[in-house]
Amino acid sequence: MAERQQDRQLDRLVDLLTKNATVVMSGTKLATQLGVSPSTLWEWIERLRSLGVEVRGLPGAGYQLKKVPDILTPQAVRRSLHRGQFGCQIYHFYETDSTMTEAERLAGKDAPHGTLVIAEEQTAGRGRFGRQWFSEPAVGIYFTLILRPRLAPSAASILTLLAGVALAEIIHEICQLPTDLRWPNDVLIREKKCAGILVEMTAEPERIAHILMGIGVNVNHPQMPKDLTAEATSLHQEAGRTFSRLEILSAVLKRLERYYLQCLEQGPAVIVHRFSEISSFARGKRVRITDGPRLLTGETAGLSPEGILLLRRDDGQTEMILGGQVRAE
Amino acid sequence: MPEEDRKPSRSPKRQQSVTNIVNLKEINELIDLLTEKGISEFEMERAGVRLRISRNAASHSPQVSFQPANSKGGIGIASPSPLVVLSETASEPLSQADPMAVLSAEELSVVRSPMVGTFYAAPVQGTPPFVQVGDKVQPGQVLCIIEAMKLMNEIEAEIAGEIVRCYVENGQPVEYGEPLFDLRPALPSAKRT
Repeated sequence: MAERQQDRQLDRLVDLLTKNATVVMSGTKLATQLGVSPSTLWEWIERLRSLGVEVRGLPGAGYQLKKVPDILTPQAVRRSLHRGQFGCQIYHFYETDSTMTEAERLAGKDAPHGTLVIAEEQTAGRGRFGRQWFSEPAVGIYFTLILRPRLAPSAASILTLLAGVALAEIIHEICQLPTDLRWPNDVLIREKKCAGILVEMTAEPERIAHILMGIGVNVNHPQMPKDLTAEATSLHQEAGRTFSRLEILSAVLKRLERYYLQCLEQGPAVIVHRFSEISSFARGKRVRITDGPRLLTGETAGLSPEGILLLRRDDGQTEMILGGQVRAE
Repeated sequence: MPEEDRKPSRSPKRQQSVTNIVNLKEINELIDLLTEKGISEFEMERAGVRLRISRNAASHSPQVSFQPANSKGGIGIASPSPLVVLSETASEPLSQADPMAVLSAEELSVVRSPMVGTFYAAPVQGTPPFVQVGDKVQPGQVLCIIEAMKLMNEIEAEIAGEIVRCYVENGQPVEYGEPLFDLRPALPSAKRT
């Protein structure tokens, strides 16, 4: 709990510095406003610096921001979102094990639809089957949305495609990078993954209790760890420049919400259609699919209305692909 | 809950389990047939259960009794309408070490897949499964994951109980509505005195 309180005080410090970005803020005054000692304030400033916030310390005068920080404080995120349900409640962590774990805990406590959990750093960011998601502090976007759709559990799979489509579009629009989607939802730039999506659902047979949509985007990573360079990349690496995480996050959230509402009203067709337009994997691509012990090869033949991948196998049969790992051959 | 409160509900449940072996419709048809043909007594055996129907000629109300095929005696209770009774002294095979073997679907809670997908018994490959046969589970406890198009659906127990059967193996595809587990609901007075 103390940890949470400190997260909130750090947010407040970032917001105060941002609000007074052009002036020198007296250290004593800042410390008083936050209710901490000047030495604690100094520790926090150091912590923010380690997250890339550029603060000038002027002895005897105070602190001054050199640049508007790219820290995803709830206030900054909320201000960028207008009036949607996504982000109606925002929990921001400077460090947590995983936003999925935090979101799961909050969902169990009846957190409303649209609740957003963001972390600057994840110490145990995860993908499917307990795979690790590399979460370098303050350079990536790591968040989980809690959704409570009135959908049959069997109709919810489209949300994984929806997330991929929204991410691919925003990365293309903001970063001017060529994005591709590898079925069902790997967002690729020049055949390397730059964003990961993990969607977990808790459902009774007829009713969804909640869905956790976890998204990680490699934004400003100068480089990826050695063992990931063959498969993964960052937007910074691909574009050769730094991007505002806040801008990308808020654009992604808005696009996610727009498609989500469209999907609930009109069904999955709009997502399947957009996916097919963006993805080079949707049709006519030679692929290799590993699904447990099974290995399939063939050519993709479009998506079903539900978003299931159709594969024309080498033996001429068409198979509906629901899972497994798809790779270009 | 005191033992007295539970007793009345017990015998109807056990009747269901026997009528699962010999279906009630069949029995009714049999009775009709016996009445029609004027047969006063009939006995048959199936799946270890002996069915005996005897008609009281005076009241024209047949009596039906079930008993394990290998036990002696066991008389049905007279009733104005056809009545199905299981002998309370039932020994083998109805009250073997594993009494669940003959319990009907009505008594077990079947956990079914809410969607088409792939069944995963464990959260991480190569780790122990969420649950195994014999495990006691609580409501909200995760039993398995069904994956479809990378949507990971955690299937939770809706009631407290014991896993008595797992239908699917790790990594196998499942259909909508396919049974995944049999769960024996925990009774508030599970302890027998």
